[in-house]
Amino acid sequence: MKELQELSRQLLADDVVKVVIGYEEGPRGVRAAFITDPAQTGKLVFDKRCVQNLATYLNPRRKQVAQLGKPAIVVKGCDARSVAGLIREKQVERGNIVVIAMRCGGVLENSEVDSELTSETVSVRCAGCDVRDPKLYDHILGELPPEPPVNPRRTEQIAALEEMTPTERWSFWNEELARCIRCHACREACPMCFCVQCTADKGQPQWIDPSPTPRANRAWQTMRVLHQAGRCVDCLECERACPEHIPLGLLARYVADAVKKRFDYAACEDPTVPAPMGVFRTDDDEEFIR
Amino acid sequence: MTHRFLSHHDLALLAADLVASGTRVIAPVRAADDLEQIDYLPIQKLEDAALGVRVTRRSLKEFFLPPSEVLLQYRQTKEGVEIREVPTVAPPQVILGATPCDVAGLEIVDKVMGWDYRDELWFGRRDATTIVSFLCSVMDHTCFCTAVGLAPDSSRGTDLLLIPVEGGYLANAITPKGKALLQRCPGATDASEAAIAGAEAAQQEARGKIANNLAAIPAEFAGWLASHYDHPVWKTIALRCHGCGACAGVCPTCHCFDIVDEHDSSEEGARRRNWDSCQTSKFTLHASGHNPRQSQSERFRQRIEHKFSIYPTRFGEILCTGCGRCARVCPGGMDLPEIVGNLVALSKAEPEGSAQ
Amino acid sequence: MNIYQPHLMRICEITDETVDTRTLKLEFKDAKIAEQFQFSAGQFGEYSVFGEGESTFCIASPPTRAGYIECSFKATGKVTQALRRLAVGDTLGFRGPYGNHFPIEMMKGHSVVFIAGGIGLAPVRCAIWNVLDLRDQFKDVTIVYGARTVGDLVYKRELEEWAQRSDLKLCLAVDPGGETPDWKGLVARIPTAVEQAVSTAEDTFAVICGPPIMIKFTLPVLTKLGFPGERIYTTLENRMKCGLGKCGRCNIGSTYVCKDGPVFTAEQIKAMPPEF
Repeated sequence: MKELQELSRQLLADDVVKVVIGYEEGPRGVRAAFITDPAQTGKLVFDKRCVQNLATYLNPRRKQVAQLGKPAIVVKGCDARSVAGLIREKQVERGNIVVIAMRCGGVLENSEVDSELTSETVSVRCAGCDVRDPKLYDHILGELPPEPPVNPRRTEQIAALEEMTPTERWSFWNEELARCIRCHACREACPMCFCVQCTADKGQPQWIDPSPTPRANRAWQTMRVLHQAGRCVDCLECERACPEHIPLGLLARYVADAVKKRFDYAACEDPTVPAPMGVFRTDDDEEFIR
Repeated sequence: MTHRFLSHHDLALLAADLVASGTRVIAPVRAADDLEQIDYLPIQKLEDAALGVRVTRRSLKEFFLPPSEVLLQYRQTKEGVEIREVPTVAPPQVILGATPCDVAGLEIVDKVMGWDYRDELWFGRRDATTIVSFLCSVMDHTCFCTAVGLAPDSSRGTDLLLIPVEGGYLANAITPKGKALLQRCPGATDASEAAIAGAEAAQQEARGKIANNLAAIPAEFAGWLASHYDHPVWKTIALRCHGCGACAGVCPTCHCFDIVDEHDSSEEGARRRNWDSCQTSKFTLHASGHNPRQSQSERFRQRIEHKFSIYPTRFGEILCTGCGRCARVCPGGMDLPEIVGNLVALSKAEPEGSAQ
Repeated sequence: MNIYQPHLMRICEITDETVDTRTLKLEFKDAKIAEQFQFSAGQFGEYSVFGEGESTFCIASPPTRAGYIECSFKATGKVTQALRRLAVGDTLGFRGPYGNHFPIEMMKGHSVVFIAGGIGLAPVRCAIWNVLDLRDQFKDVTIVYGARTVGDLVYKRELEEWAQRSDLKLCLAVDPGGETPDWKGLVARIPTAVEQAVSTAEDTFAVICGPPIMIKFTLPVLTKLGFPGERIYTTLENRMKCGLGKCGRCNIGSTYVCKDGPVFTAEQIKAMPPEF
């Protein structure tokens, strides 16, 4: 933590960056910090409560953040994949950001309460983590910690879904999505939902009804998750943001698994590796064209 | 006011009686997806309720202003348009175990819903509902009802206020509806001195628990907000805000809505009103492309201004009950009591005029 | 009574004012409503195409004419595009009248200057006809109206009517470059046209509507002439949905455009926060 604070202080004092986007203590656990004053870098923290993916603040739609100037951003290896995604899709220029990667041994599901990292308290997103030692960085800090405990919940949920008949699955998702109030917190919190005009907001034509009805909610959530195919890094910001506690991460993960199976691809830290949905290759699998 | 006493058993009988008579009874219940969380849901018997566990995830708002409701249905053919009206009279329901903050929120929103044009959809449900609130025992460090002029034992908006005492509840009927509900309890007795004293002590204790979370917002704050639209504090106050509107969804007093038409078929469809939020980027977007609130800082300013300045100026009420849900649910870490506390401190430090 | 339920209207006439601006003349399907309906100049309504949505326009016809109302609009969004697809005989919805109105009563016995640009003439035209229908209750009436080009002028047949009248002074203008060879009016922007056409603010009210930039440059001209802020009336528009003060969308600070407006004085606007 001291390393991070000192590095940030240096970056700001030397005018390498104008703002450090990291984590600070808030009234309810840690939250995003935007430090512009080198004297304030003592506020920065990094520990197992730092679950939020801060890459969302690099979204060019966030004008006030962009107006602060060139940022340094604190990322875990998983978050770095979102940064890579933003670079890959030309939302952020590599040279316009400074990436401070933190070696990470897992984060807590509930970031408000500091507790021991166990297979029950660890976030489901940490299971199978292969980016404890991030590859995308300008600076890398921290010792390489041991592998995080594995929270089996997600795997169990996916297995349960796969056991279901299509009718049961339909029923399950209908029940979950019935709670959606179309606040679009999932979209706003997602680092990869950066479209200036979301398909759901279009009125001419109205692709998706804006009302929170079962029909429209299904259309919205499935559309969003399909638009994320190959781009989603499983950071679970959508699920954390949802005020209705809909297991959106489960839906996203399901699609990510499908992308892995079909295209042997998962969103990665290397911005030069093209995502399957964003590129056309002559050897693309075309079995769906009959 | 005569203090009456209801035993736990009396309350259970009342719930059973209401359900048996076809009245929907809504109470705090453990959520199916997370037993540690509580939602307001219909119950069949009092045992189903989880009273005094935690602040519910959502407010009571949805029972009066649903996330989506049909305003009218239409059928359009070459011959013309036929409108099918929606009922403005609602079936009876009882909310059993509401927190005082949620209930006060309803009375606060009544003001705008009755402003010149009476919203019969809202009031139809209000009229059909009897509310039994409980002395709040689920406050945490995020609550701040006392800062906005309410209290954990506030009787605002409630019909019957129950205060847990030895063996049951002290029952204060605040309205004729509350009185009528009490009259359905054959076991109700006059409260003993001990019960009255016990209730008083419980109320004092509850108030003490919240009072330190946030100091009472001074009356001058509304005016300060109105004259400090251009203060530089707004520029950085919402950097971490996602503009998602989750806060508005869980808030007992946020009532902003959208009106849209939707087709069900080529001939039929409905006009609906849906929850909306001033925090979303397109809330004030004109068809021309002009947006009076282009940045998240302006949109967040609107949230604060509406709740703590505009609504008080127009209706004499702070549009906030201090329930803390917005702070609990915010994925970006925007903490309303912290923000309001900081702004109040700023208003005291810089009371005059507009900032440079 | 569900306040969100519209009256059904029948389109009885369609006029294309310009290439993109259309006027609809509407009558209430319900004869009883038609008989009872009243409104004041400056008020607005929510006009709807069932299945597409509602849109906010002022009532462009004067309250002194019974039996119908008119609205004029440009097809910019989903609902206005749908309105353009309607034909004579088709049905649309109308909720209203909402909002406040021009102070016609207060203006009686005084002179009035009407200034409008482009489609801004719609709300002003309502007030103009209201005044002309009661002509002897007002002193001098001046109308200054302009648009970017001759093609952009709306209510052309009425401009001709006004030009024939001897009880008002009409000054028409188009922007430099917008004139046609047979254009007889001024070639100047509105602020300049106002300078030429209006000589005094004494005992006079000003009513002005048009694009924000036109208003921005015309207000100083009016001020220079001596019009105090409280005697200059204009209309504001903002994104609206309910039109009756409940949906929380149209406020500028603590001013609700749908309830406190859409008619405001220049003085009131000066006091508003920078939110429009």
